[in-house]
Amino acid sequence: MRVPVTGLSAFVLALVATHFAVLNALPGYIMGKARSRFLDAGLQVHTWQMSPRVTPQTQTIVRPAPDLAYAICLINLRGGPVTLSIPTWPEYGSLSIFNAHTDNVYAGSLDARQPDAPGKLTIVVALTDQTVTAAEGETIVRVKDPEALALVRRLAPSQDLYDAAAALVPISTCGPV
Amino acid sequence: MKIVSALVGLFLGALVGLGSALAAAGIVGSSGNLSGNIDVKDWVSDWTIGSAAANPWTRARVARHGLLALTKAEAVYFTRNTDDAGDRLTESCDYRVRGGALPAQWWSVTLYNSESYLPDNTDNALSYDLTDAAATVDPSAWSFVVSPVSSASGEGWVSSRGAGNFDLTLRLYKPQDDLIADPERMLQAPSIEKLGCGAAN
Repeated sequence: MRVPVTGLSAFVLALVATHFAVLNALPGYIMGKARSRFLDAGLQVHTWQMSPRVTPQTQTIVRPAPDLAYAICLINLRGGPVTLSIPTWPEYGSLSIFNAHTDNVYAGSLDARQPDAPGKLTIVVALTDQTVTAAEGETIVRVKDPEALALVRRLAPSQDLYDAAAALVPISTCGPV
Repeated sequence: MKIVSALVGLFLGALVGLGSALAAAGIVGSSGNLSGNIDVKDWVSDWTIGSAAANPWTRARVARHGLLALTKAEAVYFTRNTDDAGDRLTESCDYRVRGGALPAQWWSVTLYNSESYLPDNTDNALSYDLTDAAATVDPSAWSFVVSPVSSASGEGWVSSRGAGNFDLTLRLYKPQDDLIADPERMLQAPSIEKLGCGAAN
């Protein structure tokens, strides 16, 4: 009787351990693969890159919204904190930061119609143990791992609005403090 | 004998653990869409999407099927893959989606295939949104048709051509606080009426 009990105990132990180990590793693995795809597609770290207008032929990630114009900046905090500065938008818009495990750790509005909306949104992204001083009105976003991703969404359901959103990329910043 | 038994148990347990984790994340198996604990007339959501507070199953599933999703303060996502009769949404049938005012600053309804990608067509009819509704006679009573062929009536159209089995995702950007607090009461969930199936419909 003891032999089956040993085998059964080992089975249950391995099942539970593997199940949760895989589940916990998947977000980081998938985010890493997405980051690699962006780099392979020519994106450079600390550079805002406008994504092509979303179509079935241009989609690179799951469930893209075809009504939005996306801009991406890949962040690497090994060299120190990074400052992001993005112009606001006359319609719905947001700046979001994702950590290396896919968690949305920050979302700020780019909607110029909001009360007291500044002309641009500026934030500083830093590791939890990095020293950083933010200017007045700037938000400091802390992450645990050095690799993060910034994503701008702007409502742009037409080609004209997409072009207008794309025109804001050269005057947006994403780089070391 | 005990060692052999333990090794076999470990191997089989790891195998089943791996498979069950991949299935729970929607990487293998048939359940490809996002799921959740909020259900408003079969539109399903989960307020922990995008958050570090989400349980490991939700986080893994969102990573696979909703990467770069926002937290509920910025946007909420409802997904539905059945019509009002409870049948699976499929390219071989036509549907009419009807809805009203929605409690958010902006919203959209987008069609995705079972792999969570936009369907592979060139119809340029991937979603219906508040901008479309606002252009109608009565933006508080909007409707559109989901079909693999364009609607001749001039009604809003979302193309299902090339989608196979699909789902619709309702995005609500800058949702009202009342919706977050009580989604069942605050969300006027869009209906999905099946119009017919097959080439003759």
